[in-house]
Amino acid sequence: MTIKSIHGCIGCGECVQACPCDVIRLDPDTGKAVIAYPADCQICHLCRMYCPVDAIEMSPEKSIPVIVAWG
Amino acid sequence: MTSKNHPTHPNRRTFLGLAGAATGLAAAGMRAGWAENRPSVAAADIVGNVHETDVLVIGGGMAGLFAAVKAHDAGARVLLVSKGRLGSSGLTPFAKGFFVFDPKTEKGSIDDFVAGVSRSALGTNNPVYTRQLAEHSLARAKELSDWGFFDQTLCHRPFLKPIAERGIPRLERVMITDLIRQDGRIAGAAGFSLDGDGAVLTLRARAVILCTGAGGFKPNGFPVCDLTHDGSVMAYRIGARVTGKEWNDGHVTRSTHPAACYDAWGDMFDRVPGTNGVEIHHDLGVDVNYVAYKTGNPLPGGPPGMVEDSAIEGGPVTPAEFRRAPGGPPPGADNDRPPPPPGGPEGKGPGRMGVPMGGASAGMAIHKSEGLVPIDDRGTSTVPGLFAAGDALGSHMAGGIYTQIGSSLAGSAVQGAISGEAAAEYARGVDLAQLPEARLAEIRSDILAPLTRSAGYGPAWVTQTLQGVMIPNFVLYIKKESMMRAALAYVEELRDHHIPMLRAADLHELRLAHETANMILTAEMKLRASLMRTESRCSHYRLDYPEIDDRNWRAWINIFQGQDGTMQLEKQPFDSWPAFG
Repeated sequence: MTIKSIHGCIGCGECVQACPCDVIRLDPDTGKAVIAYPADCQICHLCRMYCPVDAIEMSPEKSIPVIVAWG
Repeated sequence: MTSKNHPTHPNRRTFLGLAGAATGLAAAGMRAGWAENRPSVAAADIVGNVHETDVLVIGGGMAGLFAAVKAHDAGARVLLVSKGRLGSSGLTPFAKGFFVFDPKTEKGSIDDFVAGVSRSALGTNNPVYTRQLAEHSLARAKELSDWGFFDQTLCHRPFLKPIAERGIPRLERVMITDLIRQDGRIAGAAGFSLDGDGAVLTLRARAVILCTGAGGFKPNGFPVCDLTHDGSVMAYRIGARVTGKEWNDGHVTRSTHPAACYDAWGDMFDRVPGTNGVEIHHDLGVDVNYVAYKTGNPLPGGPPGMVEDSAIEGGPVTPAEFRRAPGGPPPGADNDRPPPPPGGPEGKGPGRMGVPMGGASAGMAIHKSEGLVPIDDRGTSTVPGLFAAGDALGSHMAGGIYTQIGSSLAGSAVQGAISGEAAAEYARGVDLAQLPEARLAEIRSDILAPLTRSAGYGPAWVTQTLQGVMIPNFVLYIKKESMMRAALAYVEELRDHHIPMLRAADLHELRLAHETANMILTAEMKLRASLMRTESRCSHYRLDYPEIDDRNWRAWINIFQGQDGTMQLEKQPFDSWPAFG
């Protein structure tokens, strides 16, 4: 995973707006942030840094294979 | 022949098998390639909205901020549209160094500065833009300071201050997919909203400024995954010239958690931005790629510019004046680069993040070196009414190599402001172009096409395939003709037989589909330009042409779409403007 978990979300939507890669969405039923597209997380932590209640926990692991210039 | 066995139309049993395989792949982290499409949004129900403005600014980073503010202050109605949010998308949020040429504190003159950059850039810089950076940087820094930019770690709020004060409207989380050209000049742009039930947007404008940044191949270890060269590809499709695609940014990541941008950059993303004065480098980056190519991993040296010259024979050359002493710069001196591994200035233990690994910013050229070809010093492109600024403009401000530390961010501010004034001036002299309904309907159809396909290639899978072709060290960085021709064959296949069959199940995947198409076209540009430049210079290194060739290559490469739709390339001599401009 990339964004590891979201606990204590207050539904302000700041992380949705702050994410450059459109990884997070607000659940239409609960109004709380959910990790909608984890594979597209670039692990930049902007969501975590913008979150006003420190609800977001990050992991350094990408959830899909990582292609680099040499192995 | 029945459709039962047609490879593009799997029957139900085959499909269930495919779906099962796809589920298994998903569990293993792989993404499905070809599959049935089950859209959660109906393309036919997506509304269409039209907006009108004088100057349309596309992009919400440093260049877009100043373009919008200065176009407004020059009397234009401005609309700012961004794929993400103002100040929290693109590379701007992560850039912490802002170059300022302050005559009161600098020992040398602006002439000295331009001469120094030009020596390091080996002729690849456009000195008009280099000088402009120095002349305007202090004024832009003062404005940013007034808005609170240098008092924070996150720049949305300081960016919002001047935009809100001026009442400049914003459309955010909107991906622009098309520039619209009518009667030979720009007429606006079109795209779609990522939110709610979606919306197709037609943005009519007298002038458009591309502040869309550059991009990469959604690489791992550099926060550039939302930048997919959308601006230069859209502009190319309506006839603009694009330059600089052969240059390579050489940022590295680390072998442990290579995709973790934040972790690899230490405390950099948490820092408050600061200013710095003249500090001219020749930061290759690709020297590390060369060492890895020759010796494998782990690398004997550190990050870019820190590999000792004597370690390996051959490879990219740094001019003697700009070679760094073994051991590299003092920690913290370099605001554009991550701290050296391991045991960097934060005192992290050796091996915490592992050894350097290339390709972190794969697909990106040097800041300000790739993008639209300017015909003057105001970011005017070869399409009337279309301007560009920052990393979307191929100004070659710094050249095909990192030269001035902090110039990436400052250059975007300076160029954004100048293009804003230029676009406002242009807009005063023209009317809104009329847009034929049939053309708008065609654009809408193209935008939504991936949602309407009953089956197709997943954009994520196509992107991964592209990454596998383009990112390896022996393709993108240590270049040679045979390998680039092979890669080009792959890329042409993706262009001709995969872009037309991309699927999208929702608005997020629709964005990925358009981004994937843009990256594929960029890959073609990078390969063709790299094949054409039969020499090595700055960040472009050819294993089969390792020397600088001043006789033939004191020239930039411009790319444009020919009459028959194929990609054409031409030389433009250094220190010149486009001949036809």
